[in-house]
Amino acid sequence: MALPRRGLSPQIIGALIGALALGLVLVGLGLKAGPAGLPNFNFYLFAFIALGSALRVISHPRPVYAALYFILTILASAGMYVLLSAEFMAFALVIVYAGAILITYLFVIMLATETPTADQVEALSEYDRYSREPVMATLVGFMLVAALTTMIGTGVSQLTMPTQASSTRDINDLPGRVESSLRSAGLLAADEKIATQGGDPMIDLATDSGQPGRVTIAYGEGRTKVLTTEDPKWPKDLSLSNIEGVGFTLLRDHPGSIEIAGVVLLMAMLGAVVLAQKKVELDERAKLAAQNRSLATEFLPQNSPLMAPTSQGSPSAREADTHGAPSHGSTHRVGGAA
Amino acid sequence: MLFTTIAQTGFPAPMTQATLYHYLVVSGLMFAIGLIGFLTRRNLIIMFLCTELMFQAAGLALIAFSRFHLNHTGETFVIFVLTVAAAEAALALALVVLLFKRKETLDASSWMQLKG
Repeated sequence: MALPRRGLSPQIIGALIGALALGLVLVGLGLKAGPAGLPNFNFYLFAFIALGSALRVISHPRPVYAALYFILTILASAGMYVLLSAEFMAFALVIVYAGAILITYLFVIMLATETPTADQVEALSEYDRYSREPVMATLVGFMLVAALTTMIGTGVSQLTMPTQASSTRDINDLPGRVESSLRSAGLLAADEKIATQGGDPMIDLATDSGQPGRVTIAYGEGRTKVLTTEDPKWPKDLSLSNIEGVGFTLLRDHPGSIEIAGVVLLMAMLGAVVLAQKKVELDERAKLAAQNRSLATEFLPQNSPLMAPTSQGSPSAREADTHGAPSHGSTHRVGGAA
Repeated sequence: MLFTTIAQTGFPAPMTQATLYHYLVVSGLMFAIGLIGFLTRRNLIIMFLCTELMFQAAGLALIAFSRFHLNHTGETFVIFVLTVAAAEAALALALVVLLFKRKETLDASSWMQLKG
């Protein structure tokens, strides 16, 4: 199977080639599957947008644009969620990811940007321009994709398609929904109501035996009758919506996980607060560079010839700092510069 | 077509295996892209953005399986993935801001000294 060739390094041409190859792979997938098993056309649209902008996320040299392309990936993924009839998760994804997490990222990108010096206003920092080990990383990526597609290809064909949704019988637990739906369909008169047996409503809309669902109706003095789903007036929209199904699964089957998720979020919040309050001691060299900058702007007029060595001094101090060597006795140099 | 539901079931008609395969391949590609980005980029923020990309791919696979098996467990799990992603983003970004304040650079390789 032809695997896509992805962008190697932050270069536009590589990304374009990658996106083109990606499109070819998607089209090839469609041809291979044949017309019977083809997903919706919208799937190809969303998949192309998602993967193309994902490529731009990793290939764009500017962090802000990378974050914006990531929002595009999120939106396309949300489109695919809707195609998979997971509407609630689609909206949650857009709200939580595009609305909250990505805004945090943008804030941090703006907070943690080097102040550009006069001669490099538009220049990108060195670590944004050059990537690290692009060939090796792409090889690893190729191997991962090859392994994944092989596994998926053999594994998926062994799966059996279920015939009935396992969450279908949840509708039995919503007697109020069933009653109001039946009433508005005209199946339930004013003096009739759903019969109860030992406190439980007698609703059996999803049976494992494959028989039509039935609701027992009580009317008059202790008399009952049975409505089945084969009634011509049966409301077609009486089914669990996506959000109800998710709610049932979340709150009935995984109540402990919600507690754990709450604790995780609380811990993250506490950790972020503690980290943000911490007073940071500047690295020695970074401190020196900051001092140099402030001294230069305070004492020297803008066009002074002395300005030149000082303003060149701060980037070089920062450059030396990136190698992480601790420096001692730097105060002498501050005095010298002043 | 998109929102049609069969009476009695909360889900539309069952999905074919070929459709599931398509979604899983897209998810795998997205994960690989995130991995490549994490390995190649040197900016700390972009590296965390790439982990979010990998979270995204996992979420897409979960939702596709949830749809294939016609139950909601996969979607429920994506809620927890979102929770963990949010917590991770908050903590990681707080750390990045601290690191940036200390060295005034976002280069991951300038923090080599953190290696054990």
